[in-house]
Amino acid sequence: MPDSSSNLLAAIDVGASSIRMDIAEVSPQAELHLLDSLKKAVQLGKDTFTEGYISEESIRATCEALRDFKRIMDTYGVVRYRAVATSAVREASNSDTILDRILLTSGLDVEVIDGSEENRLTYSAVLETLRGGPDLSQGQTLLVEAGGGSADVTMLSNGELQQSGTFPLGSIRLRAGMGAAASHAQEIRLLKAQIANIVTTIRRTLSIQNAVHYVAFGGDVRLAARIAAGCNQEQKVFVLAREKFVEFAESLAKFSVDKLVRQYSLSYLDAETLVPALLTYEALLAQTQASSVIVSSASIRLGVLLDLMPATEKDRMTSLSHQVLSAARSLGKKYQYDEGHAERVREVAELLFDTLKGEAGIQDAQLLYLQVAAILHDIGLFISSRSHHKHSHYLITQSDLFGLRRRELELIGNIARYHRRALPQQSHAPFVALDRDERMMVSKLAAILRVANALDKEHRWKLTDLKVVVEANQVVLVAKNMSDLTMERLALASRSDFFAQVFGKKIVLREGPAGA
Amino acid sequence: MKRSDAPRYFNRELSWLEFNRRVLEEAEDRTNPLLERLFFYCIYHSNLDEFFMVRVASLHQLLEEEALKPDGAGLTPLQQLEAVRARVRDQKAVCFQLYEGELLPALEREHIRILGCGGLKPAQQKHLDWYFENEVYPVLTPVSIDETRPFPHISGLAVYQAVLLRSAGSPDSGDRLAIVQVPGRMPGLTSLPDRGDMQFCWLSDVIRERLPLLFLGYRILAAGGFRLIRDAQMEFDDEGGEDFMRMLESGLRRRRTGRTILLEYEEGMSTELLGRLQRGLGVEDPALLPVRGPLDPRPLMILADMPGQDALHYRPQPPLQPAVFAEERGVFDILRDGDVLLHHPYDSFGPILEFLQAAAEDPDVLAIKQILYRTSGTDSPLVNSLRRAAEKGKQVTVLIELTARFDEERNISWARDLEEAGAHVLYGVSGLKTHAKATLVVRREPEGVRRYLHLGTGNYNEKTARLYTDFGLLTAADELGRDASGFFNTVTGYSEPPMFNRLVMAPLGLRDAILALIRREADRAAAGQSAWIMAKMNSLVDKRIIDGLYAASSAGVSIRLNVRGICCLRPGVAGLSENIRVVSIVDRYLEHSRAFVFHNGGDTEVFLSSADWMPRNLDRRVELMFPVTQEGPRQRLIEALQVQFEDNQKARELLPDGTYRRVAADGTEPVRAQERLYRLLLAEHDRMRSIPPVRFVPLKRKD
Repeated sequence: MPDSSSNLLAAIDVGASSIRMDIAEVSPQAELHLLDSLKKAVQLGKDTFTEGYISEESIRATCEALRDFKRIMDTYGVVRYRAVATSAVREASNSDTILDRILLTSGLDVEVIDGSEENRLTYSAVLETLRGGPDLSQGQTLLVEAGGGSADVTMLSNGELQQSGTFPLGSIRLRAGMGAAASHAQEIRLLKAQIANIVTTIRRTLSIQNAVHYVAFGGDVRLAARIAAGCNQEQKVFVLAREKFVEFAESLAKFSVDKLVRQYSLSYLDAETLVPALLTYEALLAQTQASSVIVSSASIRLGVLLDLMPATEKDRMTSLSHQVLSAARSLGKKYQYDEGHAERVREVAELLFDTLKGEAGIQDAQLLYLQVAAILHDIGLFISSRSHHKHSHYLITQSDLFGLRRRELELIGNIARYHRRALPQQSHAPFVALDRDERMMVSKLAAILRVANALDKEHRWKLTDLKVVVEANQVVLVAKNMSDLTMERLALASRSDFFAQVFGKKIVLREGPAGA
Repeated sequence: MKRSDAPRYFNRELSWLEFNRRVLEEAEDRTNPLLERLFFYCIYHSNLDEFFMVRVASLHQLLEEEALKPDGAGLTPLQQLEAVRARVRDQKAVCFQLYEGELLPALEREHIRILGCGGLKPAQQKHLDWYFENEVYPVLTPVSIDETRPFPHISGLAVYQAVLLRSAGSPDSGDRLAIVQVPGRMPGLTSLPDRGDMQFCWLSDVIRERLPLLFLGYRILAAGGFRLIRDAQMEFDDEGGEDFMRMLESGLRRRRTGRTILLEYEEGMSTELLGRLQRGLGVEDPALLPVRGPLDPRPLMILADMPGQDALHYRPQPPLQPAVFAEERGVFDILRDGDVLLHHPYDSFGPILEFLQAAAEDPDVLAIKQILYRTSGTDSPLVNSLRRAAEKGKQVTVLIELTARFDEERNISWARDLEEAGAHVLYGVSGLKTHAKATLVVRREPEGVRRYLHLGTGNYNEKTARLYTDFGLLTAADELGRDASGFFNTVTGYSEPPMFNRLVMAPLGLRDAILALIRREADRAAAGQSAWIMAKMNSLVDKRIIDGLYAASSAGVSIRLNVRGICCLRPGVAGLSENIRVVSIVDRYLEHSRAFVFHNGGDTEVFLSSADWMPRNLDRRVELMFPVTQEGPRQRLIEALQVQFEDNQKARELLPDGTYRRVAADGTEPVRAQERLYRLLLAEHDRMRSIPPVRFVPLKRKD
């Protein structure tokens, strides 16, 4: 029998109220088949959001749960896994300690991911669950996940990613921030007021009022769908009418936690987070024009599993890149970029990248960084035309860009920064902060970006006019149908020394035969 | 009977005594083979002992706590205690009649004699003298009781001789009480040499005759046997009687703890002797029970086990290997083609052993998880398979329920063996007794990971599987497999309970699930559809479920219940339960399976479960209920339950007044379910065997 262990995947999610693991198998038809699903309640969020750090007791409980999970992984012989931790660990002052303790006791390497990575994972999971489901290709869609520590909110326009953000609106965080209320009714009023405040903030950043579709996902809303309408584990999506959702959320809000536990046989933990979460969903729903709530069974774990699937890795990378670029363009628009220039530079940069990647030690995965840097290299102009490349670096690294981690944004910011003027130097702190491999990569990609940018000096290129030939000592750019290349040559002369330095080849611009 | 006349529920203790009375009836039944009758006679007594040790003890406890609230039958603890004692006295009178008047004469007709010490031949006397001096005397510990000191400890269930002594030397120094225990480790019946007949003598009589040898220098004024039953401080096992198991497997074990619940003494014991004994033990009058016949009849079991007496036993019904397992295919291949329903003991337990053995040996099996509640112990083939699997590096997880009484010591030693072999052994779930019977095998196959499952109503014990009726399901169904993984993750503490697809687990909503199924039938009946429920279990006690059944009956649901033991539901009462019929079968096999069938408007649903409908099972135990969905197994199960309602030989019907009456054959064909089910299966086997296997032999050109 062929070794099938590579078809077995595990996704672990260390969240604010529980630690969960899904074990799945990739069928020969490249479909995910869920084998096992485990959940262990650990109140990490309660610790972090009230004390700022995770207590010894919770660390122990976490380690124990993960050690047990590892045992189940071993049962199936799973070796391919990814374990991620979200806000509760991310924001804890002792996050390094807990990760180390986990590694020591269970052998599992847990990775803290930031909000945008969390968004990317859940977004790909949501798309997966919606496949063949409700049609979101027309109009604006609001995706909401109210977790224990935070709410992730994403806007889609005609099915394409537009904007996303993570807001401090988690059910456990809300509970922790509330203190003691005189009565249950007062407690609910306080909760609603808190939620309303943050919803106002969300409205400032995201145009959620334009949404005509509303997709809700996360453990609490799935539990609600089960209670309200008997939705079962197998259903990927479940649609609830808007009025029914509101009515249901309000009726549950009247119940005390004890009553919820008794009425619906819930665990205390689930009962505690259910109402704050539902009220969050309800408050956001109220802002939209959606007539129903689409409850998706998506989870961050499904996103992780999709990532881990070997067969479709390439497809997903392409679709992910697509979403990332779409988000980068939204950011560009926000800073009033020159879209035509940005795209032309991107196209030329891609062409150079593709030609060079075989020999220059650059890898496919890095293309995305170059593309995003090309799109955003001039956004610093929004602040000032003086030293705008530095402003570009600043704006890029300080933005939330869907699907990109902080570290990746740092790389892209550096690439954009060196699209003009000074070359990387020991005195440039952000550059020096990168490790050696990263510095080499940034240099190579920045060198390409510089050349691409120089070529668009006159803003008169079309990509079809350009051909690249790599020779022993030089890279020749052959321009067809072009008579006078003086301006471009001039620009190139002052911008190509970096390229020569990094790749060891000169850049030469040459007229091609007309019509060739 | 009208609704207002009687309480809604029967008292559970009296209902249990009714069950034990049915056991005694089997001893009375002259159509049963003699040694089987003897067996039932013994079972009756050991059941009763346990009942006193646990249930009657708990009534005492209630009295002590001054809990005076009446139960569902309107009886206070004191009233229950009095009713229990009165009924036991009546039953014991029946017992003595049966023993002296029927069983002993019948044994004599078969040349088996149990003699008193009076009628012995000189050679036999000599033999007993020799036996006493060399075997018995050395282990006896006569204790003379000094009234200024605490009374010595008297072990529960052991038989003693009480003796009133007077010093031969100084007759005026006062009479004193002495006791001597009849050794529990020796056969209670001593066999006597004889030509022809098998002759025995009670060990207690042998000692009684020789008391002067124990108390030299004293005159024996009076002597008599007695026996105590103490509070065992444990849970009552009304599934089969733990003693039943103990007698089958090993000797008797005495229990030493707890307060005195009952003092049984030989009828005719001198008032003086009894008075001293009673004072010394601090036993009140109501707890005294005079006994005629043997105080502890269980040594008679050795007669039932004697070889060469086949004619005095039931005709054997050797368990059959299911036809699909007769083929030369692996168990995993068989299960991939479809579910297999096992009905023990008609079906052999073999397939389960084979399943575990295959799992242990198969290189593609990754993991085995099993809950062991009660096994046959160290030499259990199941445990051996698990050990082998662990040694081969498979992930073996075993949850052992140590609170399964009496088996504890036995369980611990093999549990350690398993751990040493590398298995992950868990000792139960805190606060809950794990009563579910489940085995999960995870196997890597070319198409992906597949789970194989055995779920059952009975314990993983190949010995009791020959004597208890139970259902088991072997399946490779994906949804059940995933649920089973979730179930094991829950009981091993690895995960919070998942949302199950098909399994229902106690204490998480099993009662609610049953109530919902009952209510659904009631709703259908109320809507004018045909609606019925057919359910089989050992005990029906849970008030909420009984109320649900009453409501369903009132809505017009036709309900047939097959409840072997305790039934607190009062059937056949107009306006309450007129559509409910309850039968109980007590026959050669101990009815033990739990199966529930709901008509569901024609889309009949069938469930098996490890749980009785008792608060204990639904609230304080880990139990499972699972559906049987494949057509073949489902149909077979329904038919098996039907046959039991047709029984007119060993079935008794529960009447509205709480008594049971044999279901009359009324001129129709006699049906004895436990025989018919076997014959049906046998016929099916013959049919299968008569179909020649299809062989594809290619025809080749002849050269």
